[in-house]
Amino acid sequence: MSYKIPMGPYHPGLEEPYKLDMICEGETVRDAELHIGFNFRNIEHLAETRNYFQVIALMERVCGICSFIHTLTLCQAMEKLANVEAPPRAKYIRVIMAELERLHSHVLWAGIASKLMGFKTMFMTCFALREKVMDVLQAISGNRVNYSMNCIGGVNRDVEDPTALLALIDDLEREMTRTVIPIFTTSSTARSRCAGIGVLTHEKAVSCAVVGPTARASGVNQDLRRDAPYAAYAEMQFEVPVEQAGDVRARLFVRALEIMESCRILRQALNNIPPGEISTGADKFAFVTGTATSRVEAPRGEVMYSVSWKEGSRNPARVHVRTPTFANMPAVRWMVRGARLADTPLIQASIDPCYSCTDR
Amino acid sequence: MIDLDSIRETLGVRDPWVESRGTHWLNPGTVSVRELAVLMNAVGARFVTITAYQLPGTEGFRLEYHWDLEGRLIGFPFVIAGDTLESAKFESIYDLCEAADWIEREVHEGFAIDFTGREYEPLLLRAGDKPGVNLREMAAPTGVPAQKEVAK
Repeated sequence: MSYKIPMGPYHPGLEEPYKLDMICEGETVRDAELHIGFNFRNIEHLAETRNYFQVIALMERVCGICSFIHTLTLCQAMEKLANVEAPPRAKYIRVIMAELERLHSHVLWAGIASKLMGFKTMFMTCFALREKVMDVLQAISGNRVNYSMNCIGGVNRDVEDPTALLALIDDLEREMTRTVIPIFTTSSTARSRCAGIGVLTHEKAVSCAVVGPTARASGVNQDLRRDAPYAAYAEMQFEVPVEQAGDVRARLFVRALEIMESCRILRQALNNIPPGEISTGADKFAFVTGTATSRVEAPRGEVMYSVSWKEGSRNPARVHVRTPTFANMPAVRWMVRGARLADTPLIQASIDPCYSCTDR
Repeated sequence: MIDLDSIRETLGVRDPWVESRGTHWLNPGTVSVRELAVLMNAVGARFVTITAYQLPGTEGFRLEYHWDLEGRLIGFPFVIAGDTLESAKFESIYDLCEAADWIEREVHEGFAIDFTGREYEPLLLRAGDKPGVNLREMAAPTGVPAQKEVAK
């Protein structure tokens, strides 16, 4: 006999506005329905009522974790419509901020995954690491969540002493290689909770068109930083980690390896940042009529903005945001099929879902 | 790397690809979105999203379908007529492209465009049961007194 167990939108195992209705037989999940939209904000409509300065501040609030990525994607699209190009130094600063944001997001996720595994010591370790990254983000931008760094034609603040940040990168990499990665890969707690759990096959990953670490953990070799470089990524040397197993452990491995690659990118960007201006300095822009698209590899995967403008207008005619969690979340249905009920909070968390982005 | 022109030739489209502000555009002409989805599956393109725009007056809507082909963002614009809540219809590709499920539901809820050939579950993004109030410009309801009149 099957029965339905609702998890969320208010549930201790899923502290987010999201609901998973699971059809179970005994302790085994046979199918699931996903429900989102509990905090839907209609930011895309609000964007049409904001001018080209205000819309940047607005879209920064789409996500509380990758707020920089959203303004970067938006500004890149607006720069195409205004025929403006950010100077080289600004492009490097964009890379630095984007990679710091990836570090902070991935370490945050590792902490939350540890908590869901019942591994509280690792949770505290990860959050202590994340705090160090947050301190650097604050030192650069003056802010810890909404950084206000991007503007049309560059960035608002310079990285005054880039090489001083190298010590943090060394420190973070050391902690990852000495503590976090060995424990996640060798501890029996982590292995028993992650290996073979929540499998998303390669075929299903392709069919659902999932993105980011969720895709790469199922053997889909894609990363916009390499495949369609933006900012200064074309000048960076890095690898794209890909795993084949498609389970929670593979998603964990991919993110751990991406932390190491982010450290590598940060070292290159901090050592080679060119001198010069950080923005074009313009504060008035003439937008042409038309649509521009921009895509960026956020910590959770591809973010895409379509921005439409009418010449002479100060406000965008339309801003459409395709967030990575919106692409990844439907795949949770396939991940939880056949899983034990007790594993479902960790499985849904393994895609690193951002409910703020989804309910934009 | 797959040659974009081979896709154009397979579809039988005469117009060339146009690269503009981040996207390679192809006007699909008489090719249906379902034929397009079949071809995109065949060439291994990854579905990205559908962006909907309401056109001025009673012109209807423009739907832009985006796929990623080996790092290139390709786009196909379609115009659909219909300016009432019931009249805007377009073929669903959900059965051919599973990844289009949620975005079809989102466009349905935002613009009241009915994707034919599929069923809708309860609304995806918000409470209630009426689509078309999120992003669609609607005529003001009749019979509602203006604020000035109320102030008198």
